[in-house]
Amino acid sequence: MSMAAEHAFSRRQLLVDAGLGFGSIALSSLLRQEGVIAQEPTDPKSLIKRIAPRAKSVIWLFMIGGTSHMESFDPKPALNEHAGKAFTETPFGDVLKSPFLSNERVVAFDPNNGFIRTQVYPLQVGYQKWGQSGLEISEWWPHVASCADDLCLIRSMWTEDSNHGAQLQFHTGRHRVDGFFPTIGSWVHYGLGSLNENLPQFVVMGTPVADCCGGQETHRANYLGPQYDGIPLKVDPKNPLPYAKPPADITREQQSNEFEFLKSLNQITSERFPDDEILRARIKSYELAFRMQMAIPEVVDFKDETKQTLEDYGIEQSETKSFGEQMLTARRLVERGVRFVQVYHGSNGGAGSWDAHSGLKNGHSKLCKQVDQPIGALIKDLKMRGLLDETLVVWASEFGRTPGSQNSDGRDHHPYGFTVWMAGGGIQGGIAHGSTDELGFHAVENRHYVTDIHATILHQLGVEPRSLHLPGRKRLERDFGTPITAVLA
Amino acid sequence: MLLIFVAQTSLPSPADMRNYVWPILFGSVLFPENLLPFRMEVAIAGDLDLYQSKIAPLLKEKCTACHGAVRQEAGLRLDAAEMIRKGSATGSIVDLENPSESELIQRVCSESADERMPPPNEGVALKSEEIDLLRSWLAKGMPSPENEEVLASPKEHWSFRPIPQRTDGATIDSIISSVQSTRHLQPLPEADRYTLLRRVTLDLTGLPPTLEEIDQFISDKSEDAYQRTVDRLLSRPSYGERWARHWMDVWRYSDWDGYKEELRGSQRHIWHWRDWIIESLNANKPYDQMIREMIASDELYPLDSNRLRATGFLARNYHKSNRNIWLDATIEHTSKAFLGLTINCAKCHDHKYDPISQEDYYRFRAIFEPHQVRTDAMQSSTDLPGFPRAYDADPNAMTYIFSRGDDKHPIKEKGMEPGVPHQLPVNIPFEVSAVELPAAAYLPELTAASEKAELEKAWKRIDEANDKLGKSLAKARELDLSRSVSDARENSEAIKLELLKLREAEAALTSLKARFAADKAKHMTPPQEEYASTARTARELEQRWKMVEAELRVETATRGLQAAENSSVKDEKKRQQALDKAKKELEEARTKWKKYLDNDESVQLKDYTSLVKGYPKTTTGRRAALARWITDQNNPLAARVAVNHVWARHFGSPLVDSVFDFGLKSPKPPLMEVLDLLAGQLVESQWDLKQLHRSIVTSDTYRRASAGTPQTLARNHGIDPDNQLYWRYNVARLDAEVIRDGLLVVGGILEGYMGGPDIDEDSGEKVFRRSVYFRHAYEKQMTMMVLFDAASPSECYLRKPSVIPQQALVMANSELTRTVARKLAEHLRERNHGDRQRFVDDLFLTVLGRPVLPNESSASLNFLSQSAGEGNSNEASALQSLSHVLLNHSDFVSVR
Repeated sequence: MSMAAEHAFSRRQLLVDAGLGFGSIALSSLLRQEGVIAQEPTDPKSLIKRIAPRAKSVIWLFMIGGTSHMESFDPKPALNEHAGKAFTETPFGDVLKSPFLSNERVVAFDPNNGFIRTQVYPLQVGYQKWGQSGLEISEWWPHVASCADDLCLIRSMWTEDSNHGAQLQFHTGRHRVDGFFPTIGSWVHYGLGSLNENLPQFVVMGTPVADCCGGQETHRANYLGPQYDGIPLKVDPKNPLPYAKPPADITREQQSNEFEFLKSLNQITSERFPDDEILRARIKSYELAFRMQMAIPEVVDFKDETKQTLEDYGIEQSETKSFGEQMLTARRLVERGVRFVQVYHGSNGGAGSWDAHSGLKNGHSKLCKQVDQPIGALIKDLKMRGLLDETLVVWASEFGRTPGSQNSDGRDHHPYGFTVWMAGGGIQGGIAHGSTDELGFHAVENRHYVTDIHATILHQLGVEPRSLHLPGRKRLERDFGTPITAVLA
Repeated sequence: MLLIFVAQTSLPSPADMRNYVWPILFGSVLFPENLLPFRMEVAIAGDLDLYQSKIAPLLKEKCTACHGAVRQEAGLRLDAAEMIRKGSATGSIVDLENPSESELIQRVCSESADERMPPPNEGVALKSEEIDLLRSWLAKGMPSPENEEVLASPKEHWSFRPIPQRTDGATIDSIISSVQSTRHLQPLPEADRYTLLRRVTLDLTGLPPTLEEIDQFISDKSEDAYQRTVDRLLSRPSYGERWARHWMDVWRYSDWDGYKEELRGSQRHIWHWRDWIIESLNANKPYDQMIREMIASDELYPLDSNRLRATGFLARNYHKSNRNIWLDATIEHTSKAFLGLTINCAKCHDHKYDPISQEDYYRFRAIFEPHQVRTDAMQSSTDLPGFPRAYDADPNAMTYIFSRGDDKHPIKEKGMEPGVPHQLPVNIPFEVSAVELPAAAYLPELTAASEKAELEKAWKRIDEANDKLGKSLAKARELDLSRSVSDARENSEAIKLELLKLREAEAALTSLKARFAADKAKHMTPPQEEYASTARTARELEQRWKMVEAELRVETATRGLQAAENSSVKDEKKRQQALDKAKKELEEARTKWKKYLDNDESVQLKDYTSLVKGYPKTTTGRRAALARWITDQNNPLAARVAVNHVWARHFGSPLVDSVFDFGLKSPKPPLMEVLDLLAGQLVESQWDLKQLHRSIVTSDTYRRASAGTPQTLARNHGIDPDNQLYWRYNVARLDAEVIRDGLLVVGGILEGYMGGPDIDEDSGEKVFRRSVYFRHAYEKQMTMMVLFDAASPSECYLRKPSVIPQQALVMANSELTRTVARKLAEHLRERNHGDRQRFVDDLFLTVLGRPVLPNESSASLNFLSQSAGEGNSNEASALQSLSHVLLNHSDFVSVR
């Protein structure tokens, strides 16, 4: 570039650019020191608007593959009444003409193989009213349902991707083809201070989403930088943390000296490369690692839990053991101040176990068994310990399933209407907010896109969601979402 | 008032706003301020809605199957308003002044079967109210959303187009620098020589440069020093080990997977395929040739066991419990790895974006339907127990479409012929011709190698029997001296049993030899005349062997009964059960034995048992056809996909983000010209991978620094924060294998020998061989590899490095890092005769590949003094500690 072109860059432009991104904050500091720019760059974190927090932590439960909303938290008697009929033979044929259909961001080019299944498939399980609130929930969820009066069912969710890229979209708010963006957990980590320096602020449990559908990006921080990524934790009480201890002949003091000296060497390098985010994240990861060595094994050591608790969480039974251990660990993590605990269920290396294109009854009943008791136990346990008020539990899946049948005994993907529920954390219990139509097809009342859930979480944690952004990283209006104020206690 | 929600994505443009009836209370009571302006709930009575809710769905239902993105009959597309306006090959189809005169309307109204759309056999005619809707939409001027998404037609899609031949002398650098200058980016200068050497050495060989190599490169002032270094690195065997691991990610290498000893997935001894990958890369086997060998060696080179190893690519997909899962994986990953196509998406229904129909899926499946996996002996060596390979087991196997992908509902009316996607705009013939196999290919049991292996197995049994017998005889002598009558009796019974076992093993060997002789006589072309007599001999010898076997069974059962009688089991019921069982067994054994003694007809063999399994004499040639089709020089996908994979691994980011999906949903990459340039060169160079690496790593783009002045960085950040245009080199975390192998190199403990069976994944801190040789299968991966984001054995087209505290713990707490620190400290202490300053200099150079900075040096010396304590009594441990710290330095696991 010529000198003239060089000068064509206005000083103002430089100022704007210098404010960009994260590493650039450090860069801008340097520029100021060198007198290139006049003002100290603004730390984007200082722009975060704080509001009164209603919760401290989030436990985010994500069912991979698409849980049927009708057979879980949004039962639809009309499906039984019109079982086997074409939609057009029911009074609800208009669902197929709704403009909401165009929310789907992809178009099947062959009309013979569209994905909207149009023959009514009856409910595969009964349902009943639960608790004083009388919320209707299916019989596959008896333990969760027994907490009905603490649940806030949001029955009017919609998303765009009719395929499993919706898993990524649920966490970032953006369609798969738009690329990767920071996830809700990483925004929480970024936006809030730590409550316990000895533990990661964003912990991930369970096998993550497969690469087809977002992979590790469903708990990563993308442009926020790797230090805000979710930290995977494998719950194995026998081997709580690989390499948690140095060889026997290394004393903690020696280790501490080494860590301290290492930090000073890495700092020297960091000063040379001020925009190196990976290095910055690694320095932090060493600090955390040193403290985690003691803290993590203690978290996943259940010996101070009563036998009753272990039984409640289903840790003694083989089908609930794995998820039960994760739920109990989740409670122990939030108890110790971890901000965001993300738990995946149903990873199978592909679309996910909940993806019931066929054999829905068999599949869903088994999967519900694996998670229902542990989740129910978690809510009750949090409540008993007085933690539910400050812990927001969110249960979600990337989309629901079609009211129509597929493969004679399954349901297809359904982005037009589905349910997410929340409990605790300053959210009203015992309510159903929003609704789908009679078939469970479209969300019709109080419709919410996935980022409204994100916004509600941030709002409850005390962060104004709209104040979260980095200069130079444009967030669309939709990325921010809107807190669902109607459900706040 | 009807309240309808408008999706944020279809936010109307200001012009379109006129078409909306705005609710009276807009923005005040109904809508909290922060909902605006993007989330409008507006009453739609407008024309825009007409298009979205009525017209577009109608056209989609009736027309777009033939007039859409994938097919464009008459050059017409009706899948977007913009395309409708464009018209067909013969001109406009709409007349906004006189809508009824529009060809669009005329054709759907026509009563002539030849004219009417959709044609009578393709769909039901439009109803009159539907035609009215179309007409009124035209009358209103075809209102439609401004930003309606228009899918690219496959023919126009960048990745399906032929790779352009460039004759303008363009290079990676010339293309990139012209794009950069239009964007006002100022690329960073070349990296310093230390950084460059470390970068390129790690990149090409997966190992860090040694002190000597650094010295040599730094002191080599000649102009072509870098080029010569690149050539030298590419010629090292470690190049093959490094890049094999990359291709193993893409090709889904997995060692055998299973529970305990049960094989569930992949194949035992599949490491032969891994060795083939390493050897092929080192020999610079052309990439197209590698593909042909992996997919179809058994059809193309049926007698070449070295090449047959390559079909591990297919054997890897073996799935014990379900043939459909096996074939689905084969289809999915063959197309993703070599073509960047997600054919797997068309299993249950036509592909949503790409020109791949559900029929295409099953055509593709038919290519693989006949194949199976077997284990053959290596012909070059008699290494037991052979290698897994593909072959066509059933040339007549039928493929049916599964209705909606459900294998319980095959559509049996129509068997699918093998083929590649019909509508893919790639004009290369797919020609299948069956191949007659040479005898040694369908009679692998009779090859010299197999015979030797089988005989060795039989000999091994004899040796073992001999060995046991010898021990019992020796014991008999001892007992004879000690005169313990009961022990001696017991031992003599043991001797009797072992003698019998020896006889049985010998009879088995004799019989085996005779069976080989007979089989060989029989399958010789033409069959040997003495076949009848060899067969007779084989039958007799086998009969004799079976007889000894029967006798052995009696003896074994007798001993079993004795054991049951003398059992110390307390539970009377269990004891009685065991006793009954032993009695029964003995009775049966005696009955059988008696039959042999009586020459009873029922135990007489009619013929000897052939060793030949009866593999087909021909192979369908389907996979060979596929391999030719993929590697045809006119196939635009194979080279583009390969270049993208190679580029991604050199730069830490690909040119095309979706590395396994080059379909219509994959947008044209910003540096497509670079991709095409290199893809063109790859094909032209006869698919020379080393030349591709050389072009890339000798480019200025590759050699750029990753760090620059704050001003340049800040400005470039502002224009291209994600470095999509490669104005700098990306700082990157090293791959898991490179970190561990790097430790072994700096510790001087790397064991360099290559190849061989997979090493136990739990021995990574005790066995100091390169990481690529360790077991890599589902739930059988080295923990250290997993924590550093190694490939998942089931799928990993691109790794996603993370930074997590668990990685810090591996480096800080593992036995391996301590061992390496100790070895390194000892070596450098000796080398520098105890001089701390020189120790520190060498340490930084060895571990980080660059000279120590003054402030680092003084801090390190300070650390040494403090750690060494009074009178330097702990000098050794201080040096080790410092070395250990440096192995934990962020730059040890990074490349700059």
